[in-house]
Amino acid sequence: MDEEKLKQVLRAEVIPPAEDNARKAAINLAMAAFDEAQNEKRKNRQGSGRLARLMGRNRSRTGGWNMRKSYLLGGVATAAVLMAVSITTLRLYPQPQYFAKTTGAEQLAHSQAAPAESQAAKPQVGKRKAALPQAAQPQAGQAGEPKRPVMELADQSVEQAPPLPQGGLVRAPLPSVVDRISEQMFRGQSKSAQAPSDATRPSHYQDVGRDSFESVVRNPVKRVAEDPVSTFSIDVDTASYAFVRRQLNSGLLPQKDAVRVEELLNYFDYAYPLPESREQPFRTSVTVQHSPWKAGNKLIHIGIKGYDLAPAEKPRSNLVFLLDVSGSMNAPDKLPLMVNSMKLLLDSLGPDDRVAIVVYAGAAGTVLAPTKVAEKHKILAALDRLSAGGSTAGAEGVRQAYALAEANLDRKAVNRVILATDGDFNVGITNREALQDFIERKRASGVFLSVLGFGQGNLNDYLMQTLAQTGNGVAAHIDTLNEARKVLVEEAASTLFPIAKDVKIQVEFNPKTVAEYRLIGYETRALARADFNNDKVDAGDIGAGHTVTAIYEITPLGGESGLIEPSRYQAPGGTPGETALADEYAFLKIRYKLPDQDRSTLVTTPITVAEENLGDGDAPRAREARWATAVAGFGQILTGGKYTAAYGYDEVIALAQGAKGDDRFGYRAEFINLVRLARSASALPRN
Amino acid sequence: MTEPTDRELIEGARRGERGAFEALLRQHYDTIYRIAYKWCGNREDAQDITQTACIKLARAIGSFRFESAFVTWLYPLVINTAKDWVKARARHPAAELSEADRSVAPVAEATVYAKQLLERIRALPAREREAITLVFSEGLSHREAARVMACGESTVSWYIHQARQKLQAFRERESRHG
Repeated sequence: MDEEKLKQVLRAEVIPPAEDNARKAAINLAMAAFDEAQNEKRKNRQGSGRLARLMGRNRSRTGGWNMRKSYLLGGVATAAVLMAVSITTLRLYPQPQYFAKTTGAEQLAHSQAAPAESQAAKPQVGKRKAALPQAAQPQAGQAGEPKRPVMELADQSVEQAPPLPQGGLVRAPLPSVVDRISEQMFRGQSKSAQAPSDATRPSHYQDVGRDSFESVVRNPVKRVAEDPVSTFSIDVDTASYAFVRRQLNSGLLPQKDAVRVEELLNYFDYAYPLPESREQPFRTSVTVQHSPWKAGNKLIHIGIKGYDLAPAEKPRSNLVFLLDVSGSMNAPDKLPLMVNSMKLLLDSLGPDDRVAIVVYAGAAGTVLAPTKVAEKHKILAALDRLSAGGSTAGAEGVRQAYALAEANLDRKAVNRVILATDGDFNVGITNREALQDFIERKRASGVFLSVLGFGQGNLNDYLMQTLAQTGNGVAAHIDTLNEARKVLVEEAASTLFPIAKDVKIQVEFNPKTVAEYRLIGYETRALARADFNNDKVDAGDIGAGHTVTAIYEITPLGGESGLIEPSRYQAPGGTPGETALADEYAFLKIRYKLPDQDRSTLVTTPITVAEENLGDGDAPRAREARWATAVAGFGQILTGGKYTAAYGYDEVIALAQGAKGDDRFGYRAEFINLVRLARSASALPRN
Repeated sequence: MTEPTDRELIEGARRGERGAFEALLRQHYDTIYRIAYKWCGNREDAQDITQTACIKLARAIGSFRFESAFVTWLYPLVINTAKDWVKARARHPAAELSEADRSVAPVAEATVYAKQLLERIRALPAREREAITLVFSEGLSHREAARVMACGESTVSWYIHQARQKLQAFRERESRHG
């Protein structure tokens, strides 16, 4: 689509002026909200409570917003990444700035003043609410919230301190308020956020920012007779896990609305059976097990394994770094960052992978012939010798790079040219189409291209994107080393090869066998029943080798473990059609589109009662399901444990220990460690 | 343009001066409305979104720290309000506008093609739409848009690339069928 044309159309859009009435109403309501905010601020003296709530709203406004943010924060769980995003972080999380200004002594003084203040506030609160214009009430979630003096004070002590129930405080008798303050202060000092027994005392918990709550309302138990169909989009994000890890590693329990159980689940790679061929982009495996947290209930695991380009082993890589060392690269965020990024990439390669380096500047030249990564010192030395200078002569560089890649072409390996440039890509093949053709032809011969952009100023986004798309690769802007790691190391395989897009799952439960069900997690991915067959509705994508896991907890019909009373008037089991099959729990439907298609394909699998009786050959599958159960259990405890009763950290650890499997990269061991951290974090303040 | 005045107004509002905040609102009502309109494409919804955004602004103004232009800071606030609004609308389909309501938007100037294209853009996934709107319609740089969208610059470029491919496909279909 032509950029100019698009801009032209967009900017020519005729926007009818807003009506005067609407304008007046909006301004009046906003003024009322402003007054309200100012009143609160005055009572808080420093207005910290208002900030606290604002922060909450930003966090939970929409799931996407929230998680993208923490993705940045947590994708690489190091302190350094905080620096990288500090600009946006400060805007969204005003808290830290505030804390910097508040001394411990001040906080203490506040807490002592709190009881008196909260009492004094009572009558005024009543009056103020009554005085609020009627019209503002629908906005009460945002504008007219009841005052919570104690929560706001307590919140100062530590960012993650658990807030108190909304609105309840004004009515609460004074002694209990005092108790809570001291309890909160204590917890704040001990740097821990949430006690385990809070799981069973949900009244102590409140998500900040009630106005945009829906994204964290946990999926409820549903009756099959009333609502037999559950629909959601897959989610391969793992941002929440990284966030949780970061919090736990710093000794805090994560905020509940930051925990997305599905993202915890999908952080791990599961050894589900692989699809047999490339035509079938993924394979579904279903396992039914007993629920460890509720006797009588069962857990249905739905596991999806994406086709992996090299299922047996990680493919060898035959890489040619094509590096721009022209004069414009002579900036701290260009050449040095590029060299370091390449070193990072080097670390993630295996000893049999090959790397060659071609540079282009005044003249193009090969600075390193294809070298096995086993001889890493040679590669590092070549990288360290690079220096910037001269003008850009890219064409020859491109040719040399491809020539080298082709000379070492390995059909079983990933053959890829990685072009790193600051955008001065005025290659000798001046015609853009010709360049694209060139890359396309080479793609057919098996050499792919990825483009990394460094620095800022003269990057040619569109060209980069087009070239990378043509070359079956990604175009990425590398602005920090962490971004480099994310792009080059962590997301390498799956972002390079998407295998299915808009993947949706729909499960219809059989009223003859299932009384109740609950989907664990995926709250933000819920879809309407009708969205399933609507190809216009966007959903998640799966990359090569991705696994996706979803768990339903069900209460079989006739079981004692259900939560919902049977209907007095409806016969148990409802009135299913004649076709209802008594040996099936449910029917699983998955829709997906191949990456280059607009029309979806449907695959279906019945979930039979027999899935429970796994044979010996299915031991790995059962183990993976147990692992998923442990992760889901942990996620649910962190989010309040509404449905997990007495199931605790120790049980999670025990279950996880027994299901660790190979754990080649130590991710599962790390998880178990996180559970231990959570256990101690939650135990501390309760001593 | 009005940047220095804005600054004074914002500082006043942060100190709790009613008048300052009111002036700020009047100054920017149209901007907020414009963003909202571009998102939802009809006056009624845009007005409602603008109203909600103004109320949010009343509470949020204290957290504005002059780290970016005020308008840049407004974008996510308005766009997220709009997204929530659309989401809420999806939950209550009964409230869907009738065809007659939609025609409130005058399209005298726009050609049929432009109108279709705009509809097409509004049908894109939210993030792609956001990127397209910010960069092509509001004229932000990729870097600014990345900041507004709280994602990487490369991600913005990617969304735009995706969107353009989809729109291209649409255009080709159109021209093939006349």
